[in-house]
Amino acid sequence: MNNLGLIISALVIGLGLLWLLIRSLKGKEVERRVIFLFIGLSVSVPLLFNITFSEKATPIVRAVFDKIESLPPGSKVLISFDYGPSMAPEVEPMSDIILRHCMIKNHRVYLMGLWATGQSLSASAVDKIIKAEFPDKINGLDYVNIGYKAGNQGVLNVIITDFRKMYATDVDGVDLDSLPIFDGIKSLKDMNLLVSVGGGFPGIKEWVLFAADPGHIPLAGGCAAVSAPLLYPYYPRQILGLLGGIKGAAEYESALMKKYPELTDMPIPGIRMMGPQTLAHMVIMAFIVIGNLSFFFAGRKKQP
Amino acid sequence: MNGSRRLSLIILAAVLVVFVVSWILHTTGFQGDGAGTWLSVRDGFLVTLAAFLTLAIFSFLYKDNPYYKFAEHLFVGVSAAYWMCVGFWSTFVGNFIPRVSHTLSDFFQVPYKGFNVFYFVPLILGIMLLLRLSSKVGWISRWALAFIVGTTAGLNLIRYLRTDFITQVSNTFVPLLVDWKGIGPFFSDLSLSASGQFMLTLSNWVIFIGVFSGLIYFFFSKEHKGLFGTASRVGIWVLMITFGASFGYTVMGRVSLLVGRLTFLFQDWLGLIN
Amino acid sequence: MKHKLLIGCCLLLLPLLAPAWAQEAPVADTTTDSTAAMQAPAPVTDLTARDKENDHGHGIVLEWTPSVDDDGGLNNVFGYVIQRAESPDGPFEERGRVPIGAGGYDDIGSKERESDGFMPDYVDYYYLVRTLTVDEAVYTDSDIIGPVQSYGQWFNTGRIPVLFFVIGFMILTMYFITKARGGAKLFVRRLAGIEAVDEAIGRATEMGKPILYVLGLGTASDIATIASFTILGRVAKKVAEYQTGLIVPCYDPIVMTVAQETVRTSYMDAGRPDSYSDDMVYFVTQSQFAYVAAVNGTMLRELPATNIYMGKFFAESLILAETGALAGSIQISGTDEIAQIPFFVVACDYTLIGEELYAASAYLGREPVLLGSLKAQDYAKAAVIILAVIGFITINFDWGGFKQLFQVLD
Repeated sequence: MNNLGLIISALVIGLGLLWLLIRSLKGKEVERRVIFLFIGLSVSVPLLFNITFSEKATPIVRAVFDKIESLPPGSKVLISFDYGPSMAPEVEPMSDIILRHCMIKNHRVYLMGLWATGQSLSASAVDKIIKAEFPDKINGLDYVNIGYKAGNQGVLNVIITDFRKMYATDVDGVDLDSLPIFDGIKSLKDMNLLVSVGGGFPGIKEWVLFAADPGHIPLAGGCAAVSAPLLYPYYPRQILGLLGGIKGAAEYESALMKKYPELTDMPIPGIRMMGPQTLAHMVIMAFIVIGNLSFFFAGRKKQP
Repeated sequence: MNGSRRLSLIILAAVLVVFVVSWILHTTGFQGDGAGTWLSVRDGFLVTLAAFLTLAIFSFLYKDNPYYKFAEHLFVGVSAAYWMCVGFWSTFVGNFIPRVSHTLSDFFQVPYKGFNVFYFVPLILGIMLLLRLSSKVGWISRWALAFIVGTTAGLNLIRYLRTDFITQVSNTFVPLLVDWKGIGPFFSDLSLSASGQFMLTLSNWVIFIGVFSGLIYFFFSKEHKGLFGTASRVGIWVLMITFGASFGYTVMGRVSLLVGRLTFLFQDWLGLIN
Repeated sequence: MKHKLLIGCCLLLLPLLAPAWAQEAPVADTTTDSTAAMQAPAPVTDLTARDKENDHGHGIVLEWTPSVDDDGGLNNVFGYVIQRAESPDGPFEERGRVPIGAGGYDDIGSKERESDGFMPDYVDYYYLVRTLTVDEAVYTDSDIIGPVQSYGQWFNTGRIPVLFFVIGFMILTMYFITKARGGAKLFVRRLAGIEAVDEAIGRATEMGKPILYVLGLGTASDIATIASFTILGRVAKKVAEYQTGLIVPCYDPIVMTVAQETVRTSYMDAGRPDSYSDDMVYFVTQSQFAYVAAVNGTMLRELPATNIYMGKFFAESLILAETGALAGSIQISGTDEIAQIPFFVVACDYTLIGEELYAASAYLGREPVLLGSLKAQDYAKAAVIILAVIGFITINFDWGGFKQLFQVLD
């Protein structure tokens, strides 16, 4: 962790919050742009000074890690990219780290998406992770990208019984039957693990409703923070684990680095983003405290 | 020329200068074989444009201005066109064409899957929906809408009832005392990981009370008075704590998006971080 | 001395006799073929075959008692091979293999005629289970059983819990709707948000400012939007009576046409058809944030006294509510999008949470179908509470059978 950066952040933001507190207690209005400036600073400074904190995987994230770790090499893992560029900063670190873990474990990975934008993001993940870091992996043998099909949960309704009714080829137009990775694969029920990464509709809920629960297939999820509370009721019986927001991604990255210390050079966007997250949250908490203090003080002043 | 107009022109000039300088720097800054080629010109333009649009949207935080309006309208127009194209290529060409015409499948270069007359049914229903636009025959769209609503309801009834109701009801059958092994092991793990007996027992009690009181809160057939009212108040407290947690999660999500954008600006555009 | 000599000679002669003794004891000749020595294991017993229930109709379940030489006896079992034929005389084809210790196998085929794995139903099949050793040439076949046919069931017994709840809920709903249509007064407790609507409309009338009603980003088939139409009708009627202004910007064109109908009908019911204008209810855009920008602009220009947000909202909810708060409006909201409720709770004066929105439409509209459905839901909730209490008791006393009743199998 960059101690100088932490000290500078603490000084700048701390002094600013003190000024804010004094001003609020005096009853003076605080311009909303000042609030924006605080948030901007609390996010920018940790980014510029590379402030990071150590992470520890919580049980809900650990469950996903342990599942992928415990599957024997050659297991079939399907990863669905159910998000768009608007959610990518939060969700892409999850898809990247899970894909990387699967490649390390030599699992066979099937990439698809229920979102149209998911197809290009899965292709980008293939280039960024598989081709760049695992050049020995062969398309069609170790991994395959079958892309996007329109139909939302209707797609799941079909591929739970037969892949080929929905997907005739992969994204490159190669017939699925000619791909060794699809030998013996008829439907989602042949998968050892399903992973849905996303945060909207269709998303993890639809995977639970239309694939994992009826097909009794293990399902793990990675979702945007806004969707996470809605998915906790499904844990642990209907989804085996959940990466909630960028914190989930950071925890998974730390778990992977602890298990494989040789991966010190791997990109850790999740852990890097937790520095700005932490500072921004602390600033927001300070705002809440300051706001409540000034409210109660103002109330007491008004009393005769 | 009055002051505000002069200021606007100065700002516009400054923006254009920064844009051009950034474009040139990014174009010439690309290393390797790509430097100075069309690819680096294009990529330099795209990075600069993305940075410009990001800052234009952020400028709304100060106040509404033409740059924000430009970026917003550009986004609306491009996204409308994008989704129209995606809809055409994925739904019409991806799902419909391969099932009805070999010639069209060859034209659009999609694998022909064999003629299936049933695929004309959604086509007809779609046309019926569009008839809504006509005041004379707009009533026909109600039949298509009724089909959609009925099919969706029927398809979802079993799924939702099974996953969101029956399974959830059985998931609330949790022991109120987990694996009693003696007083020591009971308090052995007080961490938030909740793997110890005490934390598991506590979480089961929270589930029990939360589900019970939450259901009572949403009970509309009885006035919330007396013991029932107390249970209802506990329910609303549970709900509000949940909403607070959800709010906090959402704040984290929004801050993540801000971090993502700032990472792009600092890393890809300005090169200040690796 | 003579004895000692005799004993010594005997001892010397012993090695000469050793080969003879050695020949008496059987010794494995390692140069001979080992298969000749391996014994075939005992076959499996109690082999049964039956149709697999609750499947697509093309599966047969085989069960057997493993060979006595499987983890016992000769302990030379390597696995089992399941073979099938359409006649007891064969030819038998391999259908699958299972490891030692296995006592069953599901022979599942495809229902697609064109598929390679197609397994026709209503066809007689005969099975045998071959007990294998390490050497595949050494094995034992069980007795052939059959004929057995695969066929589909009319009813999936694994989904009985779902059927039970569907029928139960249907009966409740039909009962209460019938009761409501019969004129019975069905009690619905008062909701703070709805009580505030009348007060808010009065406030707007006093201030001479309009009311802004936002139906949300849902379509006309979303339940939240349908509930919002009922509330809009009630609000429009009050607005017509008080001659207050009403602004209804719409996200969806179909929602707009339905909303126009609703408001026009309300004005007619209030006896003021001339006061209605189609400009009150207008389409904005189907782009989420462009719609929000337009509504925000309306709020800041028109400065409505009351903002009512009822329907389906997404990420724009806080932007709307915050801008409304800036404009100084009293705000009442209701949505079933759980992720957005926290934002409405903090930024609005009154919030209808989730199902309260549907209850509000029943409370205001007093339609028998809505009221009956609401009462049925309430009784279903009461049933869930009772089941939850029973479930807690059974789990805590280790009576696991009750939880099994809720298992839905596919």
